Amino acid sequence: MKWTPLLAAPAAIVLIAPAGATVYMSEQQAMQAIFPGASFSPGGRAGVFRASSGGIVVIDRVLGKHEYIKYAVGITAGGTVKHIEILEYNESYGYEVREASWRSQFIGKSASSPLQLNIDIKNISGATLSCKHITDGVRRVVGQYQSLRGQ
Amino acid sequence: MRRARPLLGTIVEIEVDGVAQADAERAIARAFEAVLLVQRLMSFHDAGSDIGRINRAAFRKPVTVHPWTARVLRHAAAFHAASNGLFDCAVGFELMRRELLPSNDLDHVCKGDFSAVRLSEDRAVRLMAPVAIDLGGIAKGYAVDRAIASLRAAGVRCATVNAGGDLRVMGEIDQPIHVHVPGGGLLQAGLLRNGAIATSSSFATVGRNGALESPDSTTDRRAYSVVAPSCIVADALTKILVQSAEPQHPCFGRFGATAFISGGDLQSMAA
Repeated sequence: MKWTPLLAAPAAIVLIAPAGATVYMSEQQAMQAIFPGASFSPGGRAGVFRASSGGIVVIDRVLGKHEYIKYAVGITAGGTVKHIEILEYNESYGYEVREASWRSQFIGKSASSPLQLNIDIKNISGATLSCKHITDGVRRVVGQYQSLRGQ
Repeated sequence: MRRARPLLGTIVEIEVDGVAQADAERAIARAFEAVLLVQRLMSFHDAGSDIGRINRAAFRKPVTVHPWTARVLRHAAAFHAASNGLFDCAVGFELMRRELLPSNDLDHVCKGDFSAVRLSEDRAVRLMAPVAIDLGGIAKGYAVDRAIASLRAAGVRCATVNAGGDLRVMGEIDQPIHVHVPGGGLLQAGLLRNGAIATSSSFATVGRNGALESPDSTTDRRAYSVVAPSCIVADALTKILVQSAEPQHPCFGRFGATAFISGGDLQSMAA
């Protein structure tokens, strides 16, 4: 293990606000990951696809207080959840992301490390975020399975 | 290649570099299976999991658990001893009382501590008092370690696994690490190579006295982070850091970890 802290001096503290979604996979990739080798046809409504091997894939979106998540859930012919993949994830980090005036106060606070926006921030350690919205979304999809499947 | 799935009550993200696409896909799928197994074994909610069975039956008779559950319980015992009880997984009673965990079939549970837990060589668990164990403060870190081990076994040499903020990086590159400060944004915290970091907050931690701040509390918006060689150590030690507020606590050095608290001055910066 090697750890090089950057927080030695208060001036080094820089707030950053990521923007733009993290895209993990396309809808097609998700469908193949959920039902490998199957072909797909449109289901009972937009965002629903019937797999040739039986079952469906539903592309759904959930909107939380601070995040937007697009995910795919595969449901077996028997109506049970087979697999869930997250396609896109976009989290904002509190009010500073929305309020440019507040954000602007930090510009120039540290000449050596300016405020960064619109960059891809990975490796974020933080108090655990909940996947409750996805769980609720999946429950809703499963409840509507018959009508979503169509025919 | 980066993939994410909802597991362990959070979003688990796995990123792999330096291997062909099909190999990366397979390695990531297997790593997610390891995380799923940890979830199945250690879920408090599932009466049939190792933890569900311990909490329901181990006060009356021995309950044999999976080697992974036994390993987490041994770690939990070590952290409990080293922190003079600050780290305690026998907080099921407090969490149920606050309705943070369901109490189905667990009416017999009383307040107690982890010293009631006995684990034999053959992985049989006994509870000497009717306590309930919740591994919420440690299992996520262990799941990250299992995912990294699975990736390494699959030939991956450069990867990141992040379970809702408990993260571990593998590979000979310094990875920039950011810390999410409650209500305050992201801080550039440092560079990490072949190690783990976990961050907690006072409202995400239940103390030994059952104290728990509301997420809306404005009294403590600091982020409590621990960097350690493994994620189970980082995850568990954040609970000791939140309660002690002492980055110099001897516990951290003992487990090869470094602790820091950040974000306390952000509110004044914003004012």
